[in-house]
Amino acid sequence: MSARTMRPRTAQPPTLRPRTARPFPNALTYAFFIAVSMVMFIPFAWMLSASLKLDQDVFSFPVRWIPENPRWLNYQEIWTTIPLGLFIFNSAKLTFFVTALQLLTSSFAGYAFSKLQFKFKNALFLGYVATLAMPWHVYMVPQFIMMRGFHLNNSHLGIVCLQAFSAFGVFLMRQLYQSIPDELCEAARIDGMSEYGIWARIMLPLSKPALSTLTIFAFVTTWNDFLGPMIYLTKTNLKTIQIGLRMFITQYSSEYGLIMAASVVALIPVLIVFLSLQRFFVQGIATAGLKG
Amino acid sequence: MLATNQRTDLARRKEVRRNLVAYSFLAPNLLGFAVFTLGPILFAFVLAFLSWDGSNIITFVALDNFRRLIDDDRFFTALLNTVLYAAGTVPLTMVCSLTLAIFLNRKLHGRNFFRTISFFPYVASLVAVAIVWNMIFNPSKGPVNMLLGALGVHDLPGWAADKDWAMITVILFSVWKNMGYYMIIYLAGLQGISPELYEAASLDGCNGWAKFRRITLPQLAPTSFFVLIMITIQCFKVYDQIYMITQAGPGTSTLVLVYHIYNTAFVSWNLGYASAIAMALFILVLAITVIQFRVEKSFA
Amino acid sequence: MTGSHDPAGSRDPADLHYLAGTPGFVNQEARRCLSPDRKVHEKMERCMFRPGPPRISEELADFPEDKPCRDSEYRSYNEEATIFKEEEGMRRIKAAVCIGLLFSFVLFSATAEGAKEAPAQQGKTVLKWALWDLAATTYYTPLIAAYEAAHPDVKIETLDLGSTDYMTMLSTQLTGGDDSIDVCTVKDIPGYSNLVKAGQLLPLNDYISKSKIDTSVYGGITDQISVDGKVFALPFRSDFWIVYYNKDLFDRAGVAYPTNDMSLTQYAALARKMTSGKGADKVYGSHFHTWRSAVQLFGILDGKQTIVDGNYDFLKPYYAAILAQQKDGICQDYATLKTSSTHYSGVFYNNSVAMMNMGSWFISTLIAKIEKGETQVKNWGIVKYPHPDGVPAGTTLGTITTLGVSAASKKQAAALDFVKFVSGTEGAAIIAKTGTIPAIRTNEIAAIIAAKPGFPADANSKGALQVTKTYLEMPMHPKSAEIEVVLNQNHDNIMTNNVNIDEGIARMNKDVAKILGR
Repeated sequence: MSARTMRPRTAQPPTLRPRTARPFPNALTYAFFIAVSMVMFIPFAWMLSASLKLDQDVFSFPVRWIPENPRWLNYQEIWTTIPLGLFIFNSAKLTFFVTALQLLTSSFAGYAFSKLQFKFKNALFLGYVATLAMPWHVYMVPQFIMMRGFHLNNSHLGIVCLQAFSAFGVFLMRQLYQSIPDELCEAARIDGMSEYGIWARIMLPLSKPALSTLTIFAFVTTWNDFLGPMIYLTKTNLKTIQIGLRMFITQYSSEYGLIMAASVVALIPVLIVFLSLQRFFVQGIATAGLKG
Repeated sequence: MLATNQRTDLARRKEVRRNLVAYSFLAPNLLGFAVFTLGPILFAFVLAFLSWDGSNIITFVALDNFRRLIDDDRFFTALLNTVLYAAGTVPLTMVCSLTLAIFLNRKLHGRNFFRTISFFPYVASLVAVAIVWNMIFNPSKGPVNMLLGALGVHDLPGWAADKDWAMITVILFSVWKNMGYYMIIYLAGLQGISPELYEAASLDGCNGWAKFRRITLPQLAPTSFFVLIMITIQCFKVYDQIYMITQAGPGTSTLVLVYHIYNTAFVSWNLGYASAIAMALFILVLAITVIQFRVEKSFA
Repeated sequence: MTGSHDPAGSRDPADLHYLAGTPGFVNQEARRCLSPDRKVHEKMERCMFRPGPPRISEELADFPEDKPCRDSEYRSYNEEATIFKEEEGMRRIKAAVCIGLLFSFVLFSATAEGAKEAPAQQGKTVLKWALWDLAATTYYTPLIAAYEAAHPDVKIETLDLGSTDYMTMLSTQLTGGDDSIDVCTVKDIPGYSNLVKAGQLLPLNDYISKSKIDTSVYGGITDQISVDGKVFALPFRSDFWIVYYNKDLFDRAGVAYPTNDMSLTQYAALARKMTSGKGADKVYGSHFHTWRSAVQLFGILDGKQTIVDGNYDFLKPYYAAILAQQKDGICQDYATLKTSSTHYSGVFYNNSVAMMNMGSWFISTLIAKIEKGETQVKNWGIVKYPHPDGVPAGTTLGTITTLGVSAASKKQAAALDFVKFVSGTEGAAIIAKTGTIPAIRTNEIAAIIAAKPGFPADANSKGALQVTKTYLEMPMHPKSAEIEVVLNQNHDNIMTNNVNIDEGIARMNKDVAKILGR
């Protein structure tokens, strides 16, 4: 046996037995999936069909899935009725910065909590996790007054500051790093590597999956965030998509056709991000949950 | 050989340096977190003992807010509703997402497609999705009731307009919306289970259900625990779904704690009392989380 | 840990390959490092994963330079090259990301806006006006244009806070004594009450007496919104409730149009007559929107009770009458309307209701939509609100929109002048031209509104604009916001038939009594 060939260390794996037993027939599984997919997808089908209707027809019964005169004008009007292009740009900008900052600071802090020993470690971590239990409405007013004192209201910088330092990100990254054996870091330390080096050259490459997870989570949360931007961004040129959606509901009318069309448009970037990160995705949360 | 006190000096210096390095890692997140989030939260805790409407002077009222809490019917209604909501949503979400994950772990054509579809509801904007949900569950003309009627069900549920069914409607909505996210967490957990275990069980003659019970579930315990904690915390903080679908109605059948907090804080502008309610909520969630931790420790 | 030196040079501690065989090591990425070839990797995955504690130290101790590597840890030259290229690629990506981030931070700070206002434009006073639905409301722009033309040293900037939860937003923006807003539009009475309680509005009595503003033109409304004799806002827009009817549907059914003097029983009978058809072609005789004001407030038209008294037994007959209509299919079912978020405009536009009680704000929206051709309804009219027996015709419900000045504003004098303009006769004329009804309701104003193209031409519609007495939908009361919450909840309960009327009213009595401290 040449030393350069790849061989498993133990005995030959059984090759004749199928890899996993299949207790359920495939047809049943597929039927289950189609049923589940319909449950998941029908609301979106309705959304799509509503986006092509006039307001007065959106809520007509029985539900007409394919509108007789698809009103493509809706997709044109959403760009002119409200500055949707500007809102999308604002949302994208905020989401990008919040996600980037969250990734950076959370992985730093997660490494510290999982691999380093220091004073007050448990108390601090408990503090982080405990704040997850507080609903935002409770401390919103003191926070708003404080931010106004810093002159950070009505600025994107303010929103970024509020969202970029999240407790959930730290929690998630800590869970991931726990699944990486400590001995790895020990070995590196003994080799004389600094902690920063360990983080950059061992932890970071191994945490691609977790970073993808956190990216998706941060992206979706910031993209769909409504209350924060509504309170802090009152100037129209700073507003985001979610605020824009609600601008279609005026005091005396509700343009549901336009709301649906704008929602469909707002959904696309999120899906693109999700699809592109999908392959990392499954593995990433694996390690987060396992060594919990 | 170093003298004893020189050695402890060295040890202490090392420890200080170690702490400093650790804090330097923590600093970016901790500083921002402390200033922008922790500060206001601590102030909100203090607010529970004060009376303030956001603009006028703050007055110290000690335990008055808590005394008022005990007399407040709406608080207990909200508490009960929140617990009911959690009791319904947590097991349902876990079961549904686990089932989905197990099915989506098999080798299938279009597996990625199904996974993406399951994730759709989680990424969609709440405004649009809630409107759609209400449409579909419309008590007199929505597709769901039409289907139930066609199947011969007589006493059609009133869904969001019926005080007995409103909470169920919201629970179903939450499960549907969040199922995809937890499904993926379970999927990942499933990937970490060694197939050898299954093969060994097959050799021993176990059927599918026994395998699930004796291998999958125990191996998934840490993942399940993580999911349990996250869902529980989110359930007790629920507000957006209730606001979008039922607005705490009909009557007070879907009034939950955070909704009551919102009304107290932004309709009556009684920020001190709102903080007192929030503290009660916080203590409740903390207690439940601690219990969950203890239970997990005793099992592990 | 001696003997752990790679003969080829210092071993990169990030080199994880020797760890891949470690039992209990679950990190997929690390395992994949060992074998880029997927199939081999899968086989090895099955055989190498073993539960158990990691035995790293053992591994390292067993790895002296001269012993041949274990097969599983051995890498071929090609694999080494691939791995190196991968790492090199990673380094390049990292460098690109760092530069990108740096660049975007610079870009970000350049485009992010702080709360610093642009410096005052050459001595102009800038007033900030908080309002809602800027794009959808037709009178804001003409008002601003007219005022700025008459006062060249003042510039008015608007702050659109959105119409949903507008009052909550306004109160939030004003917390802590914020001075960025000067003029506040006040949307409803409960919100007004909250602003007054928090001291966020400036009392206007001194200004009114100094500028000799005659508040009698407002028909007594300023008295209804005064607290302890102090007025905190001036009304500039008023709306009242009327009945809209679809002339085409009446013609088709051969029924006479509604008149300007209908009692509630006559209104119900007419609605019954007009109901016809089934399914998608059904025409409903009447339509009650999901707001509680569309149903409850028939009860206050006799002036004997208000909605903040604390006793709601007087609402029973009105609930009974409308629930009966619901049951008989004369009007649409509340539960359906609420859960489908159906807007009252939609059902009127698509010819499915014959009559609808609604506020006068709908007039301009209706005219605009018909002009755009987005409706099926073409001919419509209005008549005065139906009244209980013994109450004179022309009694109706009213709601006002007022304008106030923020107590913390630094430009109070200028703001007060603007408020005077908008709520005075000049502002009223501008508002009337857009088809909206201002607070000052003289005959000239009524004529301007009736003259707007698209307004129904018949005499009854013109006559409907003459109102004899209005009762505010929600009178001024310090606890009006909380009472509103209770009333809405119980209205919901009653209209969805979740409780019967007596029980619902009993709960209203109990909960409101608690709020009022009885």
